Amino acid sequence: MSSASEARLLLLGWNFRSAAVSVRERVAFSADEVREALERIRGRGLMSEGVIVATCHRSEIYGVAAGERRDEELTRLISEWRGMDFAEASRSSFSRQGVDAARHLFRVAAGLESMALGESEVLGQVRGALRLAREAGSTRAVLHRLFESALAAGKRVRTETEIARHPLSVPSIGFALATKVFGDLSKQTLLVVGAGETGSLFGRQAADAGVRDIRIANRDPGRAASLAERLGGSAVAWDSLERALEEADVVVGTTASPTPVVRRQAVESAMRARRGRPMFFLDLAVPRDVEPGVEEIYNVYAYGLEDLEGLAEENRRRRSHEVPLAESILEEELSRFMVWLGNLSVVPTWNALRQRLAELRDIELARLPPAERERYRSFADSIASRLLHEPLQKLKGEPDASRKLDRLEALRHLFGLDRE
Amino acid sequence: MASHALGWLAVALYAGAEVFAVLSLISRRTGVERAPSLLVGAGLALHFGDLMHRSRALGSVPYRTLGGSVSLFGWMLGIAYLFLLFRHRERSIGPFLIPFVLAATALGMSLPDAPSAPSQGTRGSLFAFHVALAILAYAAFTFSFVLSVLYLIQNRQIRRKRTGILFSRLPALEVIGRMNRTSVGVGLTVLALSLAFGLAWARRVWGTLGDPKLEWAAATIAIYAFLLWMDRRGWEGPRVAVLSILGFGVLLFSYSIVNLYFSRAHSFR
Repeated sequence: MSSASEARLLLLGWNFRSAAVSVRERVAFSADEVREALERIRGRGLMSEGVIVATCHRSEIYGVAAGERRDEELTRLISEWRGMDFAEASRSSFSRQGVDAARHLFRVAAGLESMALGESEVLGQVRGALRLAREAGSTRAVLHRLFESALAAGKRVRTETEIARHPLSVPSIGFALATKVFGDLSKQTLLVVGAGETGSLFGRQAADAGVRDIRIANRDPGRAASLAERLGGSAVAWDSLERALEEADVVVGTTASPTPVVRRQAVESAMRARRGRPMFFLDLAVPRDVEPGVEEIYNVYAYGLEDLEGLAEENRRRRSHEVPLAESILEEELSRFMVWLGNLSVVPTWNALRQRLAELRDIELARLPPAERERYRSFADSIASRLLHEPLQKLKGEPDASRKLDRLEALRHLFGLDRE
Repeated sequence: MASHALGWLAVALYAGAEVFAVLSLISRRTGVERAPSLLVGAGLALHFGDLMHRSRALGSVPYRTLGGSVSLFGWMLGIAYLFLLFRHRERSIGPFLIPFVLAATALGMSLPDAPSAPSQGTRGSLFAFHVALAILAYAAFTFSFVLSVLYLIQNRQIRRKRTGILFSRLPALEVIGRMNRTSVGVGLTVLALSLAFGLAWARRVWGTLGDPKLEWAAATIAIYAFLLWMDRRGWEGPRVAVLSILGFGVLLFSYSIVNLYFSRAHSFR
């Protein structure tokens, strides 16, 4: 479709579906590089507006292209700049035009194009991309509106569907289960057993989630102290692990120990000291850190890595069930944006049409004696504006964006408005 | 039969509240989450109007007709629901509690209104307090029963790693447990007060305290008091929920079988 301003929306991108990591690494942009890229693109006159969405999994250039076949020139610019082979850059890229480019951004914002379906981080990344472009002065009405609409659509999808509701990562699933036992986790005491990579990752996630009392137990007290310091928690001596259980509401096992470090008997005596207050064990260690059977103790909940991985798979399925509903929300929002875009393009078309009529009028007026020209000029203007009034109103009020663009295109074609 | 236009209007509002409560639970769309409490509040105001109307016709608190007493029970359930909601700020429990308000009120509007003959001395304020507080206690224990069932359901979901819709919609065990504690606490206090008023009334009117219902009320109080005590001594969780369901069973037995076949003062026949 080569109509009015819709076709001028352009997207050129490389993402985890289209390009191998080696290519994505070459086209990955830091914030400074995004600014530079926007400057280069505008400097070449390829786009009048531009925004670059650059995340770990994608580099996508959105723009309002000033002419045809701009994606090829854009690919050439990027490949030359990043020292890549043009053919390779072109082969691993994808491009979209018009409504398809807009739809892709809406899907990205909603998390439908993410590796972890429905993840919410991308919404912040899209917002950041818009901010960066705005600071660089490379957005105007169209891209600003496009990105704001995509962000709104992304938020709607997350509140009105379950797509972002079911956690996918093992720690998040563990948190979700523990939250259903304790309610507010920030007031609970978390004991991380093991200060290795898993312990450190989990502790960080817990601290970010607002857990205030984090304790670390590790065979090497130095590592426990160092992790505790980084997380704003406290270290527990390995010898007093059993006593530490008495105060711990959530216990996470992450050691590389070949035998369980938390024994059933220790949990039983901790539960007596806790007067039956619930305890929650997440055993992320292989082999297990928590002796099997502790979940049989009254008010003790225990989950192993395989339980959590099973739930992650189930949640992935649940999220994918929500895709059709998410897509229908996106189409609704997209259609709203396209109507706006269509409205916007009525104005330049109308100006061109009036310009054309004024030219015809002046040709005709030139044939008249000069004394009469003024009188007939206002007469001709009056007829022209009466004639144009109704079609203008109808075009502005047309709810179907693609039909509106078709009509605008017909108008441009019939009156030869695109001729030089 | 008296017209219960206000009462039926209240039933409609409670039904609307339930619809909105279910909707906001399922879709999580914002904007409707306050509707259930507002509708229940408005329903309670109209319902109160209907109770006043009955009360004027009877010349006493409307417990002397079957319809009146069930309707009063529905009203107390509504009050208990709003109290729990404002105390714990937990809206997701609404869809499970409002049906009880709705059912009791609708039943109260449908049941016969013919008053039993006023027995000896049932008009004073001592007696009115005794009955009204007992009905409020029943309402609190009813919700304690519902909350305990929800607790056991949620506990089962967590243990069996079923993270479906019930898991995500029902509140955390700790929250349900806390709400149950509030219900039992209110129920116990109010039942003890009701018992005190009842005893004072019996002493004044009959000069004696003998009625099997008294032992059953004492048993109910004992079970719920034991529950609260054990809650702090290692039984927190499913055992307390089971005990609370048991307590409600005793309460139902005391209300039905004991009233009908054993009690002299509570037979309502």
